[in-house]
Amino acid sequence: MDFSTILGAWLSVFLTFGVFSYLYKDNPFYKIAEHLFVGLSAGYWTAIFFWTQIQPNLFGRLFPAKVYDSDNPTPFIYDILNFISSSVFPEGGIDKGHDQYFSYLIPLALGIMMLLSIIPSLSWFARWGIAYTVGMAAGLRAYGYLNSNVIGQIKGTAVNVFDFNLPFFALSEPSIFNNLIILVGTICGLLYFYFSKEHTGILGKASKIGIYFLMISFGASFGFAVMGRISLLIGRFNDLIKFSSTEYHHATFWVLLAMVAILGYATYQDKINNPQIVESAGQDLVQEEE
Amino acid sequence: MSRIEDVFLKIGSIDRRWIFLIIAAVVIVPLLFPIGLPIRATATTKHVYDAIERLPAGSNVLLSVEYSPSTRPENHPMTISILRHLFRNNHKVFITCLWPDGQFMAQDALNQVAKNEFNKVYGEDYVFLGFRPGNEAVVKGIVSNIRKIYTVDVYQKKIDEIPLMKGINNFKDFDFLFSSSAGFPGTIEWVQYASDPTGVPMASGVTSIQVNEVMPYVQAGQMVGVLAGMPGAAEYESLINQKGSATSGMDAQSVAHLVIVLFIILGNISFFIERKRSKKY
Repeated sequence: MDFSTILGAWLSVFLTFGVFSYLYKDNPFYKIAEHLFVGLSAGYWTAIFFWTQIQPNLFGRLFPAKVYDSDNPTPFIYDILNFISSSVFPEGGIDKGHDQYFSYLIPLALGIMMLLSIIPSLSWFARWGIAYTVGMAAGLRAYGYLNSNVIGQIKGTAVNVFDFNLPFFALSEPSIFNNLIILVGTICGLLYFYFSKEHTGILGKASKIGIYFLMISFGASFGFAVMGRISLLIGRFNDLIKFSSTEYHHATFWVLLAMVAILGYATYQDKINNPQIVESAGQDLVQEEE
Repeated sequence: MSRIEDVFLKIGSIDRRWIFLIIAAVVIVPLLFPIGLPIRATATTKHVYDAIERLPAGSNVLLSVEYSPSTRPENHPMTISILRHLFRNNHKVFITCLWPDGQFMAQDALNQVAKNEFNKVYGEDYVFLGFRPGNEAVVKGIVSNIRKIYTVDVYQKKIDEIPLMKGINNFKDFDFLFSSSAGFPGTIEWVQYASDPTGVPMASGVTSIQVNEVMPYVQAGQMVGVLAGMPGAAEYESLINQKGSATSGMDAQSVAHLVIVLFIILGNISFFIERKRSKKY
């Protein structure tokens, strides 16, 4: 096994235990892992966005290779850009299969306006870019939600309750009983959010049934959330077990041992210097959660 | 009686770091010593399997990878199992990513399944289109004209030069969509902007947290089915008769759930005893 793979495994183990160490208390190992994650994510996303969108789809449409040849050389501004960075602006134009669209100068201008938010005197320019993004996203989402979440869901709940071709009861397949549950749950759930009349009498009873349906839904969400977290824990433990083998020079054991020893020593030192801080370490975690 | 109550109260006020340790132990032990609990496919998982089985050989299937390493234990086994099923039935697979990290997850799955297990030819049996930023705008773009969004594939090869891309111009040219999703943008955007408007059938594999959000689309018939978290992945592995990492994690999952339920019961007993005593005084 090559050195980089082994180094990667040791790093992975260190960062995993670094994050887990927060469960004991806040400490420098956790801080290292946290800061590394934030910094790397920001850098990685920036690079990916630039090389998958801005370079090929924006610059690639403003300076496409297919429009330039010996008779029609690249413009002077492109030659300057090529001089600055030949990897972003290669000689002869950007060859990503696009035609030339000068209309892409508009998103370029809006993007530059967004970046102007870092200059206080020109920060108002950013509003134009944000206004475009918000307007476009709102319009796009309005259609999607109306079509799928309103009309689609109404269609889904419009079931034939007394379809006698269906069995009376089935656990997860369509049945008369399940259709009744859908009907009662939908109506009572909606009535709970009807605030134009006081929730008394029949409306009060129906909205109470609605609350029970909502509570079951929240319970299911909580159950799935627990299941998801355990799945992720299993994934990390699978890796830790893998990296504890001789192939990886028992990375898991050594890193765990070193981390426990350092944290234990630090806690011991804290206990000598300031016993109150150590005693309240567990309480801090509880308070943070609250 | 009072002594038993005191024991419950003591359990209720235990330092939660002990609970973390117990959870760690009950997850690790079944991973090291598997119990082999049975796995039975649920209806929603079976529907996904049946939908892919019903596709005629050589169908064009779009597989969208929308997750990062953080949810790999849940989503990756699904992607691998779906790829195995698709290649086994000789379907043509087109891979897109709405998440930047999805590109590396998809590459990893392709190396394992397409190259090592099935010896599939790139450009003839599958195409890896890769990531494009833009969230739902990318989905809308694929629906209207995929060639405007993707002029080159992930290896910077021009789409027009890839044989498998012949005749693929928009979303309607696909016979089925499977979205392996961990959040936004993902399954919901595919339902809203692709599957619902065009009528192309779709299924999804989602993280456990998303199941409640996605299930109404399945119940309403807007999606064929869903693989729900790691158990969904394990069920699919059992349906295609090829066990993987999801199956091996299910023992730990089940035992951990039992322990958490026990903790919830103990916590509630302690809470009610405490409340009863505070009312007394």
